[in-house]
Amino acid sequence: MTPLHSRMLAIGAAAFITQAVLQNGVGSQPTPKDFTSVTDEKSGKTFKALKKGVSNPLIWGTSSHYAVDFAPGKSGVSSGLSPDQLLFVLGGFRELIAGILWVKADSFFDSGNYDAILPLIRLVTILDPHQIDVYATGMWHIGYNFTDEEQRSDRRYIPAALALGKEGYQNNPTTYEMYFETGWMWYHKIDDDYEHAVNLFVEAQKRADMIPARKNLLAMAYQRDGKPEEALNTYLRLYDAADKVYKAEESFGAHQNRDTIESNADTTLVRLVQRGWIAGKEGRSTAPYDNSPPFDVGFSAKVTVTGPRELNVQGTWGVQPVGSRIRIVLRDADYPGAKPAGLDWDSSSSVNLEPDKGLTFMQDGLFVKNRRFNRKLDMSRDPTMYPFAKDKYVVELYYNPRSAPPHIQDKFSWDGSGMTDKNYLNTEVRKGQRVIYAKLELTKDQILRRGEWADRTPVIKTPNYIEPKNQYDPDNDTVIDIPSLRSGK
Amino acid sequence: MRPILAIAGTTVGEAIRRKVLLIILLIGLVFMFVAPGLGVLSTRSETTVLKSVMLGIIQLTAAVIAIVLTVYMIPNEVERRTIYTILSKPVQRWQFLVGKYLGAVAALGLMMGLMSIVLVGVFLVQQEQNRNVTAVTELLKGPIMYFVQMSLLAALAIFFSTFVSPLVNFFLSGGIYLLGTVFNPFFTTMQENPNTPWIANKFATLVNIILPNFASYNIQNTLINSGPAIQNESLYYIQTIGYGVAYIIGLLIAGIVVFDRKEV
Amino acid sequence: MAAAIETKKLTKSYKSRTAGKINVVEALDLHVEEGEIFGFLGPNGAGKTTTIKMLLGIIYPTSGEGYVLGKEIGDMAVHRLISYLPERPYYYEHMTGPEILKFYGSLFGINDPARFQSLLERVNLHRDTTKTISQYSKGMQQRIGLAQSLINDPKLLFLDEPTGGLDPIAHREIRDLILSFRDEGRTVFISSHELSEVELICDRVAIINKGVIEAQGKLTELLKGGRIEITVDSVPESLLSDLRIHDANVRNLPNGILLDVPEEADPNSVIDAVRNAKGNVISVVPRRKRLEDLFVETIKPRSSGMMEGGTVQEKTQ
Repeated sequence: MTPLHSRMLAIGAAAFITQAVLQNGVGSQPTPKDFTSVTDEKSGKTFKALKKGVSNPLIWGTSSHYAVDFAPGKSGVSSGLSPDQLLFVLGGFRELIAGILWVKADSFFDSGNYDAILPLIRLVTILDPHQIDVYATGMWHIGYNFTDEEQRSDRRYIPAALALGKEGYQNNPTTYEMYFETGWMWYHKIDDDYEHAVNLFVEAQKRADMIPARKNLLAMAYQRDGKPEEALNTYLRLYDAADKVYKAEESFGAHQNRDTIESNADTTLVRLVQRGWIAGKEGRSTAPYDNSPPFDVGFSAKVTVTGPRELNVQGTWGVQPVGSRIRIVLRDADYPGAKPAGLDWDSSSSVNLEPDKGLTFMQDGLFVKNRRFNRKLDMSRDPTMYPFAKDKYVVELYYNPRSAPPHIQDKFSWDGSGMTDKNYLNTEVRKGQRVIYAKLELTKDQILRRGEWADRTPVIKTPNYIEPKNQYDPDNDTVIDIPSLRSGK
Repeated sequence: MRPILAIAGTTVGEAIRRKVLLIILLIGLVFMFVAPGLGVLSTRSETTVLKSVMLGIIQLTAAVIAIVLTVYMIPNEVERRTIYTILSKPVQRWQFLVGKYLGAVAALGLMMGLMSIVLVGVFLVQQEQNRNVTAVTELLKGPIMYFVQMSLLAALAIFFSTFVSPLVNFFLSGGIYLLGTVFNPFFTTMQENPNTPWIANKFATLVNIILPNFASYNIQNTLINSGPAIQNESLYYIQTIGYGVAYIIGLLIAGIVVFDRKEV
Repeated sequence: MAAAIETKKLTKSYKSRTAGKINVVEALDLHVEEGEIFGFLGPNGAGKTTTIKMLLGIIYPTSGEGYVLGKEIGDMAVHRLISYLPERPYYYEHMTGPEILKFYGSLFGINDPARFQSLLERVNLHRDTTKTISQYSKGMQQRIGLAQSLINDPKLLFLDEPTGGLDPIAHREIRDLILSFRDEGRTVFISSHELSEVELICDRVAIINKGVIEAQGKLTELLKGGRIEITVDSVPESLLSDLRIHDANVRNLPNGILLDVPEEADPNSVIDAVRNAKGNVISVVPRRKRLEDLFVETIKPRSSGMMEGGTVQEKTQ
């Protein structure tokens, strides 16, 4: 080997080692979960910064998170390879093609071809994770538009909608929109587990581009979450900001906004007192206040399987009719992620647009009139949505005063302290909350009216259910009885 | 040094006169001029579409130019016997190879420079309200990183050209470019995931060491979208460019070793 | 005189998948004196270009030794003193003549416009300095090739088919140039098919066939062995038989008998013998041995079948 060759081989070896070191780094390399998003207030740009306590490697690797993080977008798809990497060949055309595809999707909305939109939603969000409109519309579409013949939503899609929303705000952390949209899905669609809505609305408020009018929703979410003081504080904070704006602009809109917030704040303040909340918190007697004594709602229920996939649900509810709505859930007994009268809705970050079609989950509301409810639930026209493929089912009846409208909450208060039930008051199914909860069981054969149940009518009921003397017809009864929430009479 | 520069100079002269390359460049430039009009087809903002399309065209065009330029470089010299008139002079084979490479990179730089000028021009025309130096310099980071990326690709193609035919080289270099861009994050994930079996982890590390990492030059996401940014930009650029230079040196030396014993 | 080129058993072989090892050049013992014009001849595929490439260090011998200007082949220092004009060379088409010379000059570290100009004048291209190579005729391209081969004032020039494809006038010009090189004390190594050209200008030649040198030496010595043709008639058969014994070829012609005797033989004694036998001497024509004759004589015995240009044909067993 000539000296020149030896020198060259030495340089070549050094170069190879250098590139390997630069590629893989030296020292313990952080992984994506060691990073957190930090927004620079001046430039508005979001950085990936190491979380506190994670040490810097001696040499960063180029194959590490710079490339992964700044590869075009993160996907919620859980496979090892991010699919947008496969689409890199489109180079900078991704955004253009994504835009064109979304325009195409619009035509599907018009023609009602809702199923065709699903793959487009996924494709467009992969191609262009910064097209927020697609995430927002996609979430709405998935969460709201798959319904049965009686306009009940197919809740098996809700986890996908939430995962899409989560992906949306992770990919677009500088804007309020996706935090807001995802929070709204918790607040309005799921209508339960309000702390998720609160957290998301709080995040939305941190973003500079949030529309002022939408900020009120945080206060309402706090109330639903049983935190009326935070609601009041939110109103007061919004009031200060609105007042500043008004003093600077003196426009009609600014004036209106400020006054609305002021009115909301006043109402909340009054309610905090009237509903016995302050007294309760301060350890004083709540006797002078509206939530005392607690009102026994007198809940009972009977479920009759009147035909295959047809239920008739009747029962008693001693509360005045307007705004009283009891949730009924009929689901597989072993539905994955199920919890009482609900699901662990955001247990997965994966946007699975094809939920298991062998699962059954029906949720609806039972409206009360004249202290009774009587509702037909016909699932027979939607066998795809209600396959009843398993053997065992549960029927859950649930009421949470946090969802109640103001005039009922004036009695029940936010914490249900003004509500009770001899048989079905429950403080376990929602930790720290007073709810009404009853659980009954049905089998597949009963629901489908097969086998031994072909000729017999399955009836399940709470032990305290008493058949009414008169057959109650809610549609024809012209007299509406509005009992007092103090006396029940 | 002088022979290297002389060879590089003639290489540039030849390259900028090659009709195939000029046609590819022309097509790229035409697409770039059309780019502003594409914004109306899409629901995204015009600036976003403009930046994304133009950066994409520059990258794609540059990649094709880099490969087409370099796969024929050495084989053409052998076929036309120009290499004999050069190697019969006091020019070492390594000087010849390095000279050809530097010429290729210079030609590539000229073509990408032209595309970048069009990029800046179209961008400034479109941004009637928002013309500023900062926006332009930000945007130019993309083509600069692409240039380093393409220099690495050119080195790879020249290395292969020392022992495979141009057609095989075309697909080999193009294929490795695709792999190095697409699969690097995949193997990185395998390296980091604690659930990966030991053997798969080591395999992924080995592949990541050997396969050139083209993905780290794709910074267009941070340029097109206002949200994401690179945390420590200077460190990132220094490291990524340093990686490229080290890999290029390694490839050239490997090419020299092969070329030294090659019968021409 | 010192040897400009000296090889000892220089061999180049390749491995063929079907025929095993093929010796393209086998045990070559070449000797070229300084200051001479040396012709290297052989049919297509004989190994001429391979030999030149080995001497230039472009390809590597399998075995044997080679020395150029006293140094081992491949020594980079020697490259400063030699030059090479390949067969059908190609130059960068976008360049003009002066630019070509500047480019090749820069490979030596030479940047002397006056020198380039004088070279262009020498090859008669000084009037076409703005034309690019793409506009050059074949002859002009060959001349610029010669100019670039002189840039470094070489002591030894390798010229591969320097007159290939040129018209007679261009032939002459190139020939005169080559002769002037010798007059300047340079050694010129020419590989060529143009036997007439080689015969005119070369001092020594070597004939290579199938990788082996079949003949090597001074032209004058190699071309010894001419014949003299004496046409006679009315010669008795006895005299003809006697002449046959003394190495004369006898052929009947329409107008007489042709006696073909070796050059060394005394033609006068033959004439006297004919006249003494009362025969008539019609004509006496000396026939010198041509290089072509030598070439054909040397090549024919080893050749079996056609050779295609430049490639090694495997003998079918």
